[in-house]
Amino acid sequence: MPENIEGANNLTAEQVIELILSNPELVIIDSRKKTEYVKGHIEGSINILNTQLSANEMQKILPDKSSQVLFYCNGSRCMRSSDATSKALSWGYSNVYWFRGGWKEWTSKKLPVITE
Amino acid sequence: MRIENLSIKAVTIIIFSMIGVVAIVLSILAGSYFKKAALNAQMNSLSRVIEVASYEMLRELNVYTFDLGMKMGHSRELIQAARKHKLESNKEQISAILDDPFINGFVGFSNINLEKIRVYDLDLTLIAESQQGIEGLNKNLDDYLLKKIIQRKGIERLKTIDVLWMSSHGPMHSTLVPLGGLHLIAYLEVIVNPAFNLSDIGKITKTPISVYFTNGEPVTVSQIETKNDNYLPIQFTLNTSEGKPAYKIIGYEDVAKLDKEMGETQVVTISGFLVLSLITLIFALWLFNRFLFVPLKRMMRDMEQMTHGRLDLTVNKKGLREFYFLAQTFNLMANQVRQRTNELERLLDLDDSAIMCFGSDNEAVYFNSGASSLFAYSRDEIGDLDLSDLFVEDINQLMSQSVEASVNAQSKLNVQLNCRSKSGEQFQCEAVINSIDPLNSSGYAIVLRPITNDRGSNKEDCSASTEQSGQRMNAIEQSLSNLLEMAKTNPSLLSSLNNLEQGVTDSKGAIDNKIQVREQAVSVMLSALACWERDLSRSKLDLAEESKIWPVYIDKSTPTTRTLDKYLNIESCPKNPRCQRVIDTAEFVLKQLGDHQTEYKKKLIDSLQVLRQLISGI
Repeated sequence: MPENIEGANNLTAEQVIELILSNPELVIIDSRKKTEYVKGHIEGSINILNTQLSANEMQKILPDKSSQVLFYCNGSRCMRSSDATSKALSWGYSNVYWFRGGWKEWTSKKLPVITE
Repeated sequence: MRIENLSIKAVTIIIFSMIGVVAIVLSILAGSYFKKAALNAQMNSLSRVIEVASYEMLRELNVYTFDLGMKMGHSRELIQAARKHKLESNKEQISAILDDPFINGFVGFSNINLEKIRVYDLDLTLIAESQQGIEGLNKNLDDYLLKKIIQRKGIERLKTIDVLWMSSHGPMHSTLVPLGGLHLIAYLEVIVNPAFNLSDIGKITKTPISVYFTNGEPVTVSQIETKNDNYLPIQFTLNTSEGKPAYKIIGYEDVAKLDKEMGETQVVTISGFLVLSLITLIFALWLFNRFLFVPLKRMMRDMEQMTHGRLDLTVNKKGLREFYFLAQTFNLMANQVRQRTNELERLLDLDDSAIMCFGSDNEAVYFNSGASSLFAYSRDEIGDLDLSDLFVEDINQLMSQSVEASVNAQSKLNVQLNCRSKSGEQFQCEAVINSIDPLNSSGYAIVLRPITNDRGSNKEDCSASTEQSGQRMNAIEQSLSNLLEMAKTNPSLLSSLNNLEQGVTDSKGAIDNKIQVREQAVSVMLSALACWERDLSRSKLDLAEESKIWPVYIDKSTPTTRTLDKYLNIESCPKNPRCQRVIDTAEFVLKQLGDHQTEYKKKLIDSLQVLRQLISGI
């Protein structure tokens, strides 16, 4: 798992909240498996497994490549969000945010979650 | 017990035994202490286990309350009602929504004891609470929880807070979550009673537990408590988040297995310690034996032999420095004694008078060279002689008469004595007899000067000669006393004192042994003579001549075996018989008999064996 991804903004949980609150249009993509997503996820996030993420899919969700998009997965040992972030960057998205700490950091800080 | 009766070896063994006993006691004490320490350590570690289990229980509790809180916190219905909470109808709606989990249940409903759900506005004022659940709780947030949330600013307020606090109904657990999710509009407090989950601690620790409130009122009581002989109670106090005691949790650890293991460890430890101690003690004893006892024993043996006159010997100096020094000093001292003895003997030998000393049994103790030549006896033969062999007169009677006539018991007696030489020839001598105390027993010192015919006719000369003998007696008395004094402790010190080889300071046991040896010597001699005469048909004179062990005397042209004869009668046998002569005689006779088996030979062999055993002290 890289420390940083070139072209992406690496955020902490608190920075993620600030970003969510400051930009209601922010797209949050949960790169984990569906089963994990169902158990709990960040409010407003959508679940797209990194392997299922494609340029077309992204095009549908974010037609504007300058729109802000945030990727997260299970945590610093999880490669899914970094993979998805790299893909988004390769497809030309310019405002890509990466929540490296992911779900583990979020829950450890006892921040609000959505469970289904 | 006197210290002189203790040997270094005995003292060392006693000391080592004491060390051994102390080691055993210490190891037992150490074992007990170890067991106690192990139990304390076990209690401390189990207390920590209960602590960890308690927090694990609370963590699991938090999972359910957090889950419930998050679900309700994102409830649109509740959020909308809370946004308009100032309307009384909304408060009722909120209460109804908050009652839903109590009525319809929720995920984990059976795992926690939900007591209350409350909603507070951002100023932490109560908006509404569930109608269901416990009654009578303080409407305000717990002070600790309040303080915590006030301290938080901005995004920090979105983070859930879990606290264990003390309510009027006892300890309660609250989870405060943001209502509205990331878009905080109010706070939702989920209150559960943790007592419901306390039994989970026992499941985690896998030990029976009892839980009490701080006032001692039981929450759950284990059955083990009433019969806890094999169980070690371990207490842990679970505190509120503020640090006040909430519950007293007692876990009961089955110590039977621990006791068994500790017992085994104790046995192994003590056994190992004792074995090591024993090995060390044995090794130390070996070292003591090698470097202390053996050299000491060798030195004592050498010294004893030297004490008995073997001044030609030297004490073995091999040993530690102190032994080397002692042995060297002793050898130097023995050498000085030997030189002094030789000087004294030479001094007495230089005198041309015949000087003799007799013991209490009338046996010759000392002859100077003048006496040997006067009586024509060799020094070897002196030991077999007594007063009656040498003098016609009864010296004892003469001295008794002299003592009766004199006040001084030590007075000298000047007389003329009829003497008898080895060849049986009689001659007269001037004699000065002095009763002395040689070797702690009364005896006589006699100085003789033969009377020639010329002297016999000259009374003045005779008188002068007697006077001279008296003076000589005084002069040599001191030397003789010194010599005899040394002979007290060194019986064989003087070459002339042949019959004192066995020592002069015999104990009672030694005296008894000597009597037995004497009797057995006579028995052997009689058996040997019987064999010689009956089986070989030879005479006693033949035995003396052929064996060359016994001297043959010529008395009035008649050969006699005076010395041998003494050994044939217990009355005449010397008090210190020359056993080697007796044994040599028996062996000579046996050798002459060859393989010829006779009754006398058997008797002789038996007697000889008994004598040898007596001599060897078996």
